[in-house]
Amino acid sequence: MAPPIVKISNLDKYFGRLHVLKDISLEVPEREVVCLIGRSGSGKSTLLRCINFLEEPSHGIIEVDGIKVEGGEKGREHRQLVHDVRLKTGMVFQEFNLFPHMTVLENVIEGPVTVKGMDKQKAVQLAEQTLDSVGLLFKKDEYPNRLSGGQKQRVAIARALAMEPRVMLFDEPTSALDPELIGEVLNVMKKVAYEGMTMIVVTHEMGFAREVADRVIVMAEGELIEDTKPEELFTNPKDPRTKALIDRYRSKDEGDPIEKKRRMDDDCHHPQDQSALQRVRSYTYRAHAH
Amino acid sequence: MNLIAKAESGVPKTQAELLFEAQQRKERRFRVNVALTWGLLLLLLVYLFSGPINIDTGFIKENMLFIAGGVGETIRISILSIILATLLALMAALGRLSTFPPVYALSTFYVSLIRGTPLYLQIMFFFLALPQLNIRLPGLWAGVIALGLNYGAYMSEIFRAGLASVGKGQREAAAALGMTPSQTMTRVVLPQALRFAIPPTGNEFIAMTKDSALVAATGFVHELMWRAVKVGRAQFHNLEALIMAAIFYWIMTIILSYLQGILEARLAKGER
Repeated sequence: MAPPIVKISNLDKYFGRLHVLKDISLEVPEREVVCLIGRSGSGKSTLLRCINFLEEPSHGIIEVDGIKVEGGEKGREHRQLVHDVRLKTGMVFQEFNLFPHMTVLENVIEGPVTVKGMDKQKAVQLAEQTLDSVGLLFKKDEYPNRLSGGQKQRVAIARALAMEPRVMLFDEPTSALDPELIGEVLNVMKKVAYEGMTMIVVTHEMGFAREVADRVIVMAEGELIEDTKPEELFTNPKDPRTKALIDRYRSKDEGDPIEKKRRMDDDCHHPQDQSALQRVRSYTYRAHAH
Repeated sequence: MNLIAKAESGVPKTQAELLFEAQQRKERRFRVNVALTWGLLLLLLVYLFSGPINIDTGFIKENMLFIAGGVGETIRISILSIILATLLALMAALGRLSTFPPVYALSTFYVSLIRGTPLYLQIMFFFLALPQLNIRLPGLWAGVIALGLNYGAYMSEIFRAGLASVGKGQREAAAALGMTPSQTMTRVVLPQALRFAIPPTGNEFIAMTKDSALVAATGFVHELMWRAVKVGRAQFHNLEALIMAAIFYWIMTIILSYLQGILEARLAKGER
């Protein structure tokens, strides 16, 4: 097995007196796609945000690509380590958080130029490649307010990818989107996954979890209650809370015609299948055609 | 317009078209009435000063250029003051965000002190009180500092609102990219906050052109008001002199408000 890119050891997080993450340990090896699911308030977003220190862990150790950071510390050295970790992680937010005063291209080159000090011409080249890979190169001179939600999120993914991170963190990337725009974002995420990126995805998209994830982790009350392969989870959930969660999604999926159609569209294709990437690409282009 | 073509061709109008036309007629009538009343009021003023109130047109002709010469000085002092005020306001607003107590305290202390005392007093302080301590500022600069300090305190609220208008998500996105707090501030937060603050700053500038008249009281800055008072007093023609100054201020304000309107429209259309 490949060495872990992300290693979390005995992580605790308190908000005041509220204990939101309870002694969590987790390893994510290179190229693995992990989906974090759970009801709201289960701590899944907080766990994700602790990995790049948008939330400072109360105790515990976060290790990203060999950089080891102790939670709850202060001072210059700690800040430097956090900065190093952030250079290794790309983050995609539920609300996109594109910079509204910059064009799409400027959004994508901002990180490489300002943070890494990359030569601007080189950064533009890189940004254009990345934008092309999410199918939005033709929007490079637009401002974010001229894009649809799905397009904004794809630009946000490109912005994170342009930093060439070792691991991508997705915090409910499709939750703020209209149902008909979810597919294009998931397709881009699939493509990123198939290209070998290590990904940790907080999501409610069970179809995506089932199809793309190597592992699904279920959280409840600040603990990891289940950590298995997706097929295992969906056919044979161990914890009753997991079962309740999956039943809830199942009934929701079946009730929603758009969701059902999307699941049919996305019909499982296997990562090893050579044509898979091709198909994902065709989805991406179809998505940008309208 | 195709409504006219339709009317001529005799096709009956739809309910929506009729409602739209009625609405338009109503709005047009309102605008015409407002314009007429304005014209009437202006005529009334002109009439008052040409007959019932006796004014000396000879004096006006003689001193027109002298008073008009103050417009440049008024604008100069206003521009310099608004620049100082903007810088102070920005620093005070950033200070309000600080978690370092002395900085936060300095910012709130400044705002409280300035807002708690009259502008007139502040202006006099810089002209009359400081020389007692052997600090003598050139006339223009004493005025600029007083006005700038005063407006800076009030305008800090504008910049505070501007900074607050930039969501937490923006800072998080910048942090996640690896930006330092100062990069986040200069690259992400400030550009958005400043854009937010431009229209209200324009309003403050317009207000400042009028408040700058207070500087006349010191006798050192030869702006519009000072000139009007000088010639008015000397020849006992205060009425004519002040009316002239009022007209200049008014015209200046109308022009500046118009420019402000254009600026706002352009920003509203812009890439938000």
